[in-house]
Amino acid sequence: MAKKYQFQEQFEDQVLRCVSCGFCQPVCPVYGLTRRPALNARGKMLLLQEVMEGRFELDEDLVETLFQCTGCASCVNSCPSGVNVPEVIQAARRDMVGVGTCHPVFDGMNRVLKTADNIYKESEPPEYLEGRKLNEPAEYIYFVGCVGAYREEEATEKTLGLLDHLKVDYTLIHEVCCAGVLEEVGYAANLDKASQIIDRVKAVGAETIITGCPYCYRTFTNRPQYSGFGESGIKVIHIAQFLPKHDFGVTSDLKVTYHDPCDLGRHCGIYQEPRDTIKKIAPDYVEMKHHHAMSLCCGAGGGVRGAFPSNSLNMARRRLAEAEAAGADVVLTECNSCVHNLSNAKLRRQNIEVFTTAQFISLLLDSRS
Amino acid sequence: MLKGNIKADLAAIVGRENFTDARIDMVSYGRDAMGAVGNPECAIWVENTEHIMKIMELATREKIPVTCRAAGTGIAGMAVPTHGGIVMDIMKMDRILEINTEDRVAVVEPGVVYADLQSELDKVGFTLPTEPGSSAASTIGGNVATNAGGLRSAKYGTTKDYVLGLKVVLADGRVMNTGTRTMKTSSGYNLTQLFVGSEGTLGIFTEIILKIVPQPKATTTLLALFDRLEDAGRAVCQTMSAGVIPSVMEVMGRYLIQAINENTDLHLPDTDTMLLVETDGYTQTDADAQMEKVIEIFKTNRATGVQRANTPEERANLWAARKSTYPVSARLNNSLIVEDVTVPMSKLADLYREFTKIIDKYDLKVAMCSHAGDGNFHPLIAYDRRNPEEVENVEKANAELFKLAISLGGTISGEHGIGIFKADYMSLEHDPASMDVMRTIKRALDPHNILNPGKMALDKD
Repeated sequence: MAKKYQFQEQFEDQVLRCVSCGFCQPVCPVYGLTRRPALNARGKMLLLQEVMEGRFELDEDLVETLFQCTGCASCVNSCPSGVNVPEVIQAARRDMVGVGTCHPVFDGMNRVLKTADNIYKESEPPEYLEGRKLNEPAEYIYFVGCVGAYREEEATEKTLGLLDHLKVDYTLIHEVCCAGVLEEVGYAANLDKASQIIDRVKAVGAETIITGCPYCYRTFTNRPQYSGFGESGIKVIHIAQFLPKHDFGVTSDLKVTYHDPCDLGRHCGIYQEPRDTIKKIAPDYVEMKHHHAMSLCCGAGGGVRGAFPSNSLNMARRRLAEAEAAGADVVLTECNSCVHNLSNAKLRRQNIEVFTTAQFISLLLDSRS
Repeated sequence: MLKGNIKADLAAIVGRENFTDARIDMVSYGRDAMGAVGNPECAIWVENTEHIMKIMELATREKIPVTCRAAGTGIAGMAVPTHGGIVMDIMKMDRILEINTEDRVAVVEPGVVYADLQSELDKVGFTLPTEPGSSAASTIGGNVATNAGGLRSAKYGTTKDYVLGLKVVLADGRVMNTGTRTMKTSSGYNLTQLFVGSEGTLGIFTEIILKIVPQPKATTTLLALFDRLEDAGRAVCQTMSAGVIPSVMEVMGRYLIQAINENTDLHLPDTDTMLLVETDGYTQTDADAQMEKVIEIFKTNRATGVQRANTPEERANLWAARKSTYPVSARLNNSLIVEDVTVPMSKLADLYREFTKIIDKYDLKVAMCSHAGDGNFHPLIAYDRRNPEEVENVEKANAELFKLAISLGGTISGEHGIGIFKADYMSLEHDPASMDVMRTIKRALDPHNILNPGKMALDKD
């Protein structure tokens, strides 16, 4: 007999495999903030079991929980039963969108990306483009991403300044959103955006894309609509993988900690390279209480910053509290979204600074000169 | 059925943001970590003792059941309401109030996760040595409410041995303090130990005074192999009576070893039974000397091999095998039941042997695991909850296991507690006078039966 919802066809076994042990609870950033079990992975799986048994429908009541997940995958990391909760939730979201029940912010995002270039509907080109190669032949393409372009322009300006200082032969391209977030929140992939990016990348002729955005990095390397890169022999790397082979000739006395972005760390297993770079320039390095695979999410991912802004900011505050407890002067990270959320979450009394690693190195070079 | 004005009164006490009766929350609050299903009508988050006092005054006045809940990782149904009413979620009370190494005391709120407390104690070289299997998720409040044990209980005892005092809110909303922060007391009834293991039926803890101990400086770790589970049981028994008390003695059986090998890269040896042993001491010489004695005893009990961990990495590998028990067992089927009968040490071999016959009779897949060092047996029974015949076989096997444990002079629960699932078996273990005394105490402290009603067979005659 056909199942009522698609998520059941694909993931019924996984939902049933959840034994409700609750090991996902202490590592969930949404639960850690709210203490609401319904919002935690276990709570979500219990609700999906109710749906499968016909006691709940995928209706408005479930939006608050099924659309409130940063996709940090801490639950996956801690689940003894091997349940891939984010994948199950994505499938359930597709069903919800299919029946017309979804979070209005994500519906808005989907509509925006049908016509606008980026999720913010910004049309003015960013200032950092001035004086830099755009759509020109080069060894590398540097792909900024929406957040870096329109919410953390200063971090991007500094990052590009570092690449200039290292005399890297790179070009920028006229970007559109990688649109990776759409599939995460229940919508179909935006194939137009993908083909625009692939065409523009191919037109430039570069062999490697460096990106500063872990989410774009994941999208380009994992989503089938970007398989064109691999098929054309175009490599995609994150800037954290590019920097370790360079020396910078500057160091800082400040006490520095590193925040593992979920999209780079837990999702891609990239933990060591950022630390290799940081320890070269900031020997007084400390880890926060939760680091590497146990890193605590900043609260921005999975569209949560747009859809649940207050909770998102408060999750970031909890992460900053860990940085303070570690005695850090500076938090470095490799994700503009994390920088944005953590910076916005700072309380007035907090002097701690938040930068991307490249931005920080660039600032050190600036102060030396 | 809670009336609207009651819900408004609850929200007025704890704040609107700390009250919910949303359907999605009721699903979570009606479940625990082993399939118990309850019927909460609403839930509140409490942030301090005063909240709890006022809630209990209201609940007494209106005769509303209150079920206290922490992390919800209990596996006997104690945190799940079966009589409707209010779930009182204490997880926002998560402060470590004090760690005092001179007094050897830690004072915590009930919502502090064990692992978080231990992480702070690590910084000062101390420990709460109970270390339950759920340590990453369960709370001190939950541990005290169930008298939780753990991996080191053979040497270090269970939670009750580390609770010096409690601040408790009673059913009528009065607050009392039990015990002391001194290392010992002989002043009045030992009320602290009455509340430990009471599963939320006698009072609600708002502060817990714990004894903490210095961490041992050195450990020695070993894996021993046996051809029969019974031989391992006998070896454990003889070890404990030979003047050496290892800190850890964990038995793992054949099906579990196979499951670990199929699901991990640990490449455990092909054997019927494994025993993970750890000794600890102030010096490495001390820990090693204890282990030499253990090896000597194992060899006279037909151990077919012993494998010492000579480096931290080797130790970590041996521990990885033990720690993978629950994860691996959880993947064997869609449902898992863990029992925790405990028997006198001299009966452990008999328990293993007779239980093997039971599971063969019912054709069940059981990962055998045991805190052998204190006679605590944890069969992990994997089954398909959609298959009624399998469900029935599991229930029958469980019932026979309880009877077997009692016949060997044991207890139906060593550390997980009674809750709902074992309530029917309380009279198998406790004589009528004991049950009557328990019910009398319950009536004295909770005359309206509003604190977690329907649990531990306290409601029955």
